[in-house]
Amino acid sequence: MFLTDDENRILNGEQGEIKQRCMEFLVDYGEAAGAEKLVDIDGTVDMHPGVGWVGAYDIKPEEVAELARKGERFKVPTFSDKAPAPGFIIDGWETCGIQPNCDPDFHKKCLDNLKPYIDMGMVPTFSCDHYLVSSFWPTLGQHSAWVESSAIPWVNAILGSRSNFDGCFHTAYLGKVPEYDMHITENRAATVLVRCEAKLTRDMDYDLFGWAVGEALGLKVPALTGIGQPTTTQLVKMNSALNTAGQVRMYHIPGMTPEAPTLEATFQGNKPKETISITDDDIKRVYELMNYGASDEIDFVYLGCPHYNIEEIRKATSLLEGRKCTVTLWIMTNSPTYKMADMAGYRKLIEDSGAKLLSGTCPGLLMGRVAAGGGVPRVMAMDATKQDYYITGHCYPEKVQVRYGTMEECIDAAVTGKWEGKLR
Amino acid sequence: MNTPKQKIILRGRKVIGGIAEGEALVSKMPLMGWGNVDSENGYTVERNHPLFEVPYKGKVLVFSEPRGSGGFVGYGRSRLFNTHPAAFLYRQGNNLTVFAAMVMNVPTITDFDQDPTEVIETGDYVIVNGDEGIVEVIKKGV
Repeated sequence: MFLTDDENRILNGEQGEIKQRCMEFLVDYGEAAGAEKLVDIDGTVDMHPGVGWVGAYDIKPEEVAELARKGERFKVPTFSDKAPAPGFIIDGWETCGIQPNCDPDFHKKCLDNLKPYIDMGMVPTFSCDHYLVSSFWPTLGQHSAWVESSAIPWVNAILGSRSNFDGCFHTAYLGKVPEYDMHITENRAATVLVRCEAKLTRDMDYDLFGWAVGEALGLKVPALTGIGQPTTTQLVKMNSALNTAGQVRMYHIPGMTPEAPTLEATFQGNKPKETISITDDDIKRVYELMNYGASDEIDFVYLGCPHYNIEEIRKATSLLEGRKCTVTLWIMTNSPTYKMADMAGYRKLIEDSGAKLLSGTCPGLLMGRVAAGGGVPRVMAMDATKQDYYITGHCYPEKVQVRYGTMEECIDAAVTGKWEGKLR
Repeated sequence: MNTPKQKIILRGRKVIGGIAEGEALVSKMPLMGWGNVDSENGYTVERNHPLFEVPYKGKVLVFSEPRGSGGFVGYGRSRLFNTHPAAFLYRQGNNLTVFAAMVMNVPTITDFDQDPTEVIETGDYVIVNGDEGIVEVIKKGV
């Protein structure tokens, strides 16, 4: 891989051992990926703080703490994704009822461990959808390094910034990333034309549609047609599913997304290699895949994958007002949105119903050990294909059943303890 | 009649160098990480997956594509528990497979001249030269 003189000096250790190790990682990564050079990040980084993601290349938390003490800073605007496993609730932890998350000492220790990253400049958004609250977006054509299923299609397709799935300490500290895959214009062209023949109206429909497309496409880039005028909630849900059932990290919606002024433009002068249709039958098949197990006796309801935005919280609050939950209901959001929901009075109304408003994590990160007393719930209800499809793995070897449906159906289940959802 | 053992050669792009060999474990269905890989036991725990609870330790793990979370690196983390595959071969990847391969640190090849999940079947004996990007397949039972 080609390196500039400056990059070679970092690799030779002229700027210290940690920068040298970060550069060794970028070089090994770039060569393994087939990149020809590095590119300067002029957009942003989204990283899971403290996570041991890249094995022997990891910069250890104590090394980060030492850098922070010396006044070292991240080179580019950097935002925090969720803190990693075993999972850590940022807000509302006092009410969560599970160990060790409701222990004040545990909470303080987790926050202390994250402080060096914040001192280095990482913005404490602590969320899989930090992009909904970061208040600073990379712009069209800028190079970024993000992580997280729903965030990668957001940065590429919705913002038109260019990112692979590689936001981490190394990319934030050096402000550089290997230039390949989504950084290259030709790789961002659509190759598949997707015609949506299913009727997408509810938020759930976009989640199911995203799954069907992701499963069919894998790593391919689609142009999505016939999907109507999705809301922010619907786009976030669709993105999360696209990048869970497959690796759809870039797509186009002609007339809507920034690299798709027209349908023709998305193919960059080529013809589609494939055309596929997504029908109501596909939606039904995914819906059935998500309803796992036979029991309708719900003992845990989870809303907030990806972390709920303020509009979803507002809607959930209005559905809960004046009702009482008979089983545990968690509504998970990101930390800034939690504070807005508190200010707006939603937190109190949610808690008055017996539900909990929390921020910063999810049952998956908590390895499914979210039932009161610490075990795995028996039958969970949720409104997100991503969390649904992973949670059985997270609970393994314990068994869990999952009921999937709309927010309304999930909240009804939290009130009655019974699942009564149906596709139409 | 004595049939000579059938050998097939695949050529691809090196991701991680080194030489390894072993029995193939093949998945045409994409692999998914995060909660759906059990690094400690060294197998997938994705519901409905053909390789559910099938150990990949010491095998040449051959698959179509990655999908889902950056937690795909869980396949690489099986190195920590000594349950990792002997080699890692896939039709098409992206940084999910690259990070998993770097952490696993075993011979890894992709972008082949033929689809490895069509040519290689579970139980075939496979010799992987990561440095050269060459895979030699000895078909089972021939």
